[in-house]
Formats: sequence, C-alpha cells, structure tokens
Amino acid sequence: MKFHTLKVIALDKPIKEATTITFDVPSELYNAFNYAPGQHLIIKFMVNGEEARRSYSLNSCPFKEEPLQVTVKRVKDGLVSNFVNDQLKVGDELEVMIPQGRFHAAIEEDAYKTYFLFAAGSGITPIISILKSVLLASPQSAVNLFYGNANQDTIIFKEELETLVKNYPERLTIVHTLSDPKVWTTWETWKGRKGRIDAEAVEWFITNHPPIAQTTEYYICGPGAMNTGIRKTLQELGVPRELIHIEQFGADTSEESNNIKAVDSIVSVSLNGENYKLTVPKGKTILQSLKEANLNPPYSCESGVCATCVAKVKNGKAEMKACMALEDEDIAKGMILTCQSLPTTDELSIEF
Amino acid sequence: MDTKRKMPVLPVEAYTSQEWFDKEQEIIFGNAWQFAGLVEDIKDPGDYITVQCGLQNIVVVKGRDQRIRAFHNLCRHRGTQLLRAVGKKQKALTCPYHDWTYDLSGQLISVPEKEKEFPDLEIDKICLHKASVDIWRGMLWVHPKPNAEAITKWFDGCWERLGPHDPNRLIEYPDSVYEKVINANWKIIAENYIDVYHLSHLHSNTLQMYDHANAEYGFVGDHYLFWEPLSKDYHENLDKLLPFKRIKEMTEEYIGAYVPWLFPNVGLSETEATWSVFHAIPLAPDKTKVIVRTKMEEMTDWEYYKKGIKSYASWHGIMGGDTKYGNEDSDDPMASGDFMAEDVYACEQQQKSLKNPLFSIAATAKHGESTVRTFQGIVERWMSNSIKEG
Repeated sequence: MKFHTLKVIALDKPIKEATTITFDVPSELYNAFNYAPGQHLIIKFMVNGEEARRSYSLNSCPFKEEPLQVTVKRVKDGLVSNFVNDQLKVGDELEVMIPQGRFHAAIEEDAYKTYFLFAAGSGITPIISILKSVLLASPQSAVNLFYGNANQDTIIFKEELETLVKNYPERLTIVHTLSDPKVWTTWETWKGRKGRIDAEAVEWFITNHPPIAQTTEYYICGPGAMNTGIRKTLQELGVPRELIHIEQFGADTSEESNNIKAVDSIVSVSLNGENYKLTVPKGKTILQSLKEANLNPPYSCESGVCATCVAKVKNGKAEMKACMALEDEDIAKGMILTCQSLPTTDELSIEF
Repeated sequence: MDTKRKMPVLPVEAYTSQEWFDKEQEIIFGNAWQFAGLVEDIKDPGDYITVQCGLQNIVVVKGRDQRIRAFHNLCRHRGTQLLRAVGKKQKALTCPYHDWTYDLSGQLISVPEKEKEFPDLEIDKICLHKASVDIWRGMLWVHPKPNAEAITKWFDGCWERLGPHDPNRLIEYPDSVYEKVINANWKIIAENYIDVYHLSHLHSNTLQMYDHANAEYGFVGDHYLFWEPLSKDYHENLDKLLPFKRIKEMTEEYIGAYVPWLFPNVGLSETEATWSVFHAIPLAPDKTKVIVRTKMEEMTDWEYYKKGIKSYASWHGIMGGDTKYGNEDSDDPMASGDFMAEDVYACEQQQKSLKNPLFSIAATAKHGESTVRTFQGIVERWMSNSIKEG
C-alpha cells in the first residue's frame, strides 16, 4: 500500500478538544481517493522525529462536493492526537493512504431502508458520514441515531447534527445521551437522556424509535466494550447478525489498552523461514519489538486495519488493543494483528 | 371466448366464473403487494395478524427488535395453519396440531419428543417460509414472495399525488369500521370506485360537496389517482359544514379530495376531515367483503358532538338538496342519503344483470369511464402476462 502526499487546507475545531483536518486532493488522485461512507484514512505522522501511523474515519460525505475530512479528538497522553490538536498547521503536508475499511454502508438511491446508528464520542466520525450519505443519496430511507458522550462539551458535530434534524425532520431522529452531564453550564441544564448506551438504553431506543421501512441496518462505532454490548443486545432482540456492522476506535484510544493485563514476555517468532526469540517488554506491541530488533516484519497501517502484520499464536496468549481487520472467527483460530498485540503470558510463540 | 359480451374490455365471465376467480387469486393476488392493516394493528412485540393473499395465508408479526416479519401461515411439519386471525404479545408461535414452536423470527425452536421421534432432525435448519412485509403511508403491506420488489417501487409516483395527510398521527375511533359483504365481483366494486361519470349522477345529492367537473385523474403505473376540488358553497362555508375537525395538514394549498385506487383492491379517501382506507376482499366471483377504516383528528367526545350538530344544522340551509329519490321509503338505498348505500345498490344490480341473456354494454363514456376501460386493460395484461410466463 502506497502513501500519497496531501496538503492540509483547513483546521477546524468542532469542539474544544478535537480538530477536523481538511485535505486537498490533487485532481489526478480524485479517483483513487473515492470512498464509501464509513471508511477511514491511514495517515503517517512525524512527531518529534518519530514516525507514527494512525487510522481516522472520514467524517465528510462522499455524495457531497466536499473535500476529505477526518476529525481527531485529543486523547490524554496520545502522541498523535496531541500533535494534531496543538502543532499541525494549515499548509502542512501529510502522508495518506487511499480510503479503506470494511465498515461502510452501501447507499442505493432506490432503497427503502431504516438505518440505526450508534456512536460514542469520536465514534461519530464514520457514523456522520453514513448519516449524511443516506439523507442525501437514498431519499426514501430514514436514519435513527443514538449518540453517547461524556458531557455537553464533548458532543462533536452538535450544531451540524441539529441543522440536519431541522432540514430532514421526517427522515432523521437523533437521541443524545450523556454519561456525566455538566450540571452548571452557562447556557443550559441537560434535559436529555443520561447514562451510557448499555443494554437497557439500546432496547429503549429501538422500542421508542421503531423502523418505518422494514429493511434495516445497524452501524455501531465506539469503544470495544460498547460495540459488543450493543451487538449482543440487538441480537437478543432478534436482529440477525449480518445486519449489524461494527467499527472500533483506532489505536489512539488508551481506554482499550488499559484493560489489557500485559506482561513482560519471552516471545518465540517464526518469521521469513527463521526462528527468533526476543523479549517484549510490558505494554509494548509485538510489532514494535520486532521492528526495534530489525527483524523486518511485514506491516503497513499500524492501526489494526490492514491485516498486513497478521500472525498466528501457537502457544501462550496476546490481546489486541484494536482490531478492525479480523473477524471473530479468525480471532478464535488464534490470529492476531501484531501491531495491536500485547503479550499477556510470560511466554508466547507466534508464526507469521 | 365469448366475444360478444365484453365489460367492455374484459369478458363477462371474468366477473362470473369460478375459474377466472381462482386464476386471479393465483396470478394477481399471489403476486401483488396487499393491504394488511394499519401500523397500529400490531403494536407490541409478539402481536400478530393474518392476511389472505390470494391462495396463501400470511402471518404478520412484530419482533422484539420492533421489526415486522411476514411468514406463510403453514407449519413446516405437516402444513397445518399455524395461527388464527389475530393475537397479542405471543412469546413464540406454536402450531396447534403437534406443538411445534417457532420464535418470532420464524425459526423452529422446539419439537415435542424430539429425541425419540425426530433424532436426526436439524431444528436450526427449519424456518417458516418467508414472505415480504413493509410499511407505507401508515399501512402494513404484505407480498407472498420473500424477495418482492420494494414497496416504494410498487407505488412509485403515487405518494406525491396523494394528500398531505399523516395517517400515523390520526385517530381511528372505536366502532367506526364499516364492514359489509357485497354481492358483486371485486372488479365491479373497483370500477365503481374509479368511475368518474357516475359521481354527479348516482351521488347527485350525497357527494355534492365536491366539484366533480374539475376532477383531475389518471393512472400511474397500475394505480389510479384522483383529485377533485371542493364545491364553491362547501368551500366557502367549510368551517360550518365540516362534520369533524379539519385535518391539520389540509391547508388551502392542498384542499380537495384525494381518492386513489391502489391496484389491485384498495381505495383511499383522503379528505379535508377524514382519511379512510377501503379494502375490497374477493370472497367469490359474485361476493366481495368491503372493510372501510376511517381516521380523523383527535377530538374529545364533546368536540365531536359539537361539530356534528353544527354541521348538521348548517347542511340543509347552505347545501340544499335531498336524497336521490325523495324520502318516502327509508329502506330504499336511493333514499338513504348515504353514498355508500347508493354504490352498493348499483354494484349489486350490475352483478345481477350479468346473468341476463340480454345484458350487453352499449357504450362507455369517452372521459368519465375511460378509467374503467384502463383498469380492465390492466387486469387483462396481468392475467395474460402471467399465463405466458407460467
């Protein structure tokens, strides 16, 4: 996979702690940078002389004449997210791969569908792209969005969503829920729903916003635990699994990795016909350690999306911070993305 | 085929013979989206209704995910009808014969004495036969085929020619359903509904609140669409004459009556004060059950009463008129002052005459009955296309 150089032509702040990057795509790359709503970009950053790759969902809408946009929310101690929010400048150039990802909605003009969208925090980015695409390009279809945030100040695209509800009152319904609403704000007290998008909330949402068009699809984007929780509830209510689409946050979410009980581990690796043994220190990914040992492992996005770095666990255990490239069945077979994997046993044996 | 006696496009036997009737059931009613009820008929998960689509009976049930599913009402075991009529809040669907049980998504979940009687049966591979179901304009529609074309495609071009009403919002008052078995073929009833020529004649004193001379009508696909303005007197005194509360969306811009016939057997009547769906269910070549359900603005009993009194008191003074044939016999439908009774009478009389050896149609009106000829042409096309394909 190739990186292309794209220029940053605008930087905006949808909320205080997030930045929307707008890219200029040169005309010769227009076709290559076509995308389906829900897909993401893998971007290479140089931060303090160090290379870091991240994947960010496109929040722009491919059915609108608008430039490519991604939105980066600041994560505590996040290397790239702090760089984007504090140091990136209009006119800077970034190395960007063409849009990719299996999480995307097929939009058909003739379709008569109801889309149920679930998002938490910056998980709104691919979801708003799907939402705008349905409203613009599938005129008989409707959207019900359930959007969770910590408090009033973290609702990304709040105004844009409000405008969309005004413009499409019969086709768009949005319910916000805040897990920790601010009691004192200068402008209003929160009268909306409180709490996280848990099982009870999902059932409440579905029951109170039943579909009109009976062909339905479900798109979920948020932290891993929320995603699997929503999917579980939907399936218990009788939604067939194949209608449920999930996207997990990129590797920039420290929340996920915090839950992994990583340990120092002696890792045996079978790679390019050779066998190696090395120590992977606690908290470091297997891929990072292999790169530092100059063993030349295969990799590309370093974001858990492209599956170039996939390996199979023969012995021991490792857990992934994020994984968008493997199905549950693959994971059950012992497949891991080494760029996201932290060993959780003292010894681990893997094969590329 | 009897070439002498046409209606004027379809042969007379299309309205009288059992053979024609059975073929229509299979070819038309087995291949079209059918009206199944109003959205509120299945409110909660586990609520279901059953609908006859030609020769096939369909169950429409709401799942816990609020999605509506449709299945053929036929147990996969030995074909027994699974459910009767209507039901509320079922947890599962159980066949009365041997208690085979399916979940709300049609999946077989239990078979009594499975280990002993069906040791090799793979329960998870057995599901009820699926049909299609969707919601359109506040109504439930079913199609016996599992992958029917989208309901919006079936009604392509219709929505924008209908009234501004939002049927979901309107209220159906208890005991307001009209139900009657009419002794006439379903097509006679459809043709009566779309016959523009008869409006000023049969209904000269019952539908005089509309200006029939300025009606606009025509076909969109196989569906008939009709709109007519209010008559001048009625329009000018609308507030006094309206029998019920005016429909909120019925602003001056939209005012008029929207009265389409949706192929094959559903009429709508969307007016300034009511929204009705007229469902003609074929029972036999010469028998059709008509069910009319009406919704209106929400009103308290007192508002309803007041409006009725005011309208009644004003009606004669402003609109004048009497019944078609005076008031001498209260049992005479032509003296009833009820346009439905007038139509039923006309339909039943026409059906009777089809048996008369002297029956023939001398001519049909160039404009006002062109709709009847077009409708018959559509039925003819459906029947001949499918016979060729079959």
